[in-house]
Amino acid sequence: MPAETRGPYPLVSRLQKALLWAALLLLFGYLLVFLTYAANLIQFPFDYDQGEGFELVDTLLFSQGRWPWQDVETYPFYSSNYPPLFHLLAVPFAWLFGPSYAYGRILGTLATLIAAGAIACAVRRDGGPGLLAPLSGLAFIASNTIYHIGPLNRQHMSMVMFETLAVVVLANLESIADSRKRRRTFWAGLLLILAAGYTKQLALATALAAIAFLFIRRPRSGLQLATGLALSGGGIFLLLTLATDGQWWLQTISANVNRYDPHQALGLFQQWFGLHGFLVVPALLFLLYELYVERLSIYSVWLAAALAFGLLSGKWGAGDSYFSTAIAASCVLTGVGCTRLLANQSARRALRPALAMLFIPLLYLGYGRAVLHIPTHSPPFDSIAAWLDITPNAHNGFHDSARGPEGDFPPGYADIGHLTTGEDLRAGEELVAMVRAAEGPVLSEDASFALLAGKDVVSNPTQLLNLANNGLYSGDALVKMLQERVFGLIILRAGFFPGAILQAIGENYEPGQVISMNGFDYRVYRPRPAQES
Amino acid sequence: MATRENTRRIPLQNRDSLRAILRLMWERPLSKRRLGLLLVLAGGAGFVGVLAVDLLDAGRVGGVGPTQSLALGVMSLIVLVGLSLLPLGDRPA
Repeated sequence: MPAETRGPYPLVSRLQKALLWAALLLLFGYLLVFLTYAANLIQFPFDYDQGEGFELVDTLLFSQGRWPWQDVETYPFYSSNYPPLFHLLAVPFAWLFGPSYAYGRILGTLATLIAAGAIACAVRRDGGPGLLAPLSGLAFIASNTIYHIGPLNRQHMSMVMFETLAVVVLANLESIADSRKRRRTFWAGLLLILAAGYTKQLALATALAAIAFLFIRRPRSGLQLATGLALSGGGIFLLLTLATDGQWWLQTISANVNRYDPHQALGLFQQWFGLHGFLVVPALLFLLYELYVERLSIYSVWLAAALAFGLLSGKWGAGDSYFSTAIAASCVLTGVGCTRLLANQSARRALRPALAMLFIPLLYLGYGRAVLHIPTHSPPFDSIAAWLDITPNAHNGFHDSARGPEGDFPPGYADIGHLTTGEDLRAGEELVAMVRAAEGPVLSEDASFALLAGKDVVSNPTQLLNLANNGLYSGDALVKMLQERVFGLIILRAGFFPGAILQAIGENYEPGQVISMNGFDYRVYRPRPAQES
Repeated sequence: MATRENTRRIPLQNRDSLRAILRLMWERPLSKRRLGLLLVLAGGAGFVGVLAVDLLDAGRVGGVGPTQSLALGVMSLIVLVGLSLLPLGDRPA
């Protein structure tokens, strides 16, 4: 019998169950919002989040048997700063469908759903009664951060998926009596951590958490995992460095040492806590309980490591996505903590513990209110938004509780989450037509216009900036091409190029049309007439 | 539920070789005290390391910046958590 239906006070139990169903319904609503957003993005053929196009370029390069880590001083001045696994997973789709954002976004969506499923499984395995397991999984998808990065053609959610699976696999390693099964579980965990690390470097948090947890439980296992990861991960790292003439090291490690702004980190931390506090506070309390009273679970160690790495969100180029691992850990830990609480309380025959059981669904209801995000202009959500008097505070009629009433948000928070419209589609097609009509190559801050026009994708602006900020990029060849006005057209969105490149653009190209797509202005520049400079 | 495993020190006279001691050490869970000690050492080393950035990077001026302050705060927290675990003795961490 599920724990929430037991106990001496049937009325309280029934009330708790009703509240749990209400919380489940609320969080299920966020799943529908997430799926609507995912379906909308999968059909949108252009860049949505800055950088999506360059992840597609990485996939296309792999599909042609080429490395994406290249020398950026020579044409086409392109390089990636990410590990390869997410792009390799998309390669078969690139062979089948060519350049398209759809399959990468489908992979991101699936990764989010799998991570949520793994969270639910972890809570259920720990004895999570009835609705608690699905609530924990849905809480992950309901997060504003997970919602808006999940369905992107970005590698971040695949990393979180591998991290979550690794932690769930390794959680009960030391309690497995059968040595063969334990060995298999150990290797599965190691491979999943390796997969997470070769999807995105940030998975180091989970690798360290897993090593620390196993070391605490059985020092030999911790050292074995550390050795296994060092040998396998280090071996792949060395091979990639040698195979790319050192470009792998330069582009993924050296270029990623970026300026750190503690105010950005604190702003994002406060925002994360404000949105997820209903889950974070119980998770932290349960962490303290395990630290001082019981034994530490892998989930507690994972949350501590993920929180520490969340502070890296102050890096240039980082953002709220850096808290997604901590969100996953909070969802599991709160679910597991509530499970223990229910198990303890249901055995007692007193009114106070019974009333305390009501606290659990109220937590999830409070969380559901805190993470409110909904498209207010698209059916069927428009009528719900009108009924609840929710007004838009973001692009295209989107309401996001992560923002202030005027749509303000801390630096680093991704300005996305809204649905794309027919107007956005037409704007994208107009930009593609302009690129197609332009003579010679085109320099664009988003890759999709050149990809769809069948032209070379020239440069990866943020990576050039990363390298320039570390004194690893001169840009002479690109500046020379700009001075010679080789590019028939330049499209800027955020001006992420290094200063020397932006200066050369300003001196040799004149601003023309401004086309708005997805709420962002794309500024089109054409070569200045020859006599001007 | 807490598993009350015995993490007390093994009397040397009952063990006949260093190998057996090491084996037991690697197979047994860390106690809360040992975990506390490791955290104190790690946090302390990190604290000194963060301060050492100024000493090693001779060209920098301006003392401890906001990023360093944040890092020092985190390291101090680790040391404090470690210290608070020391009195909890041989219970498994």
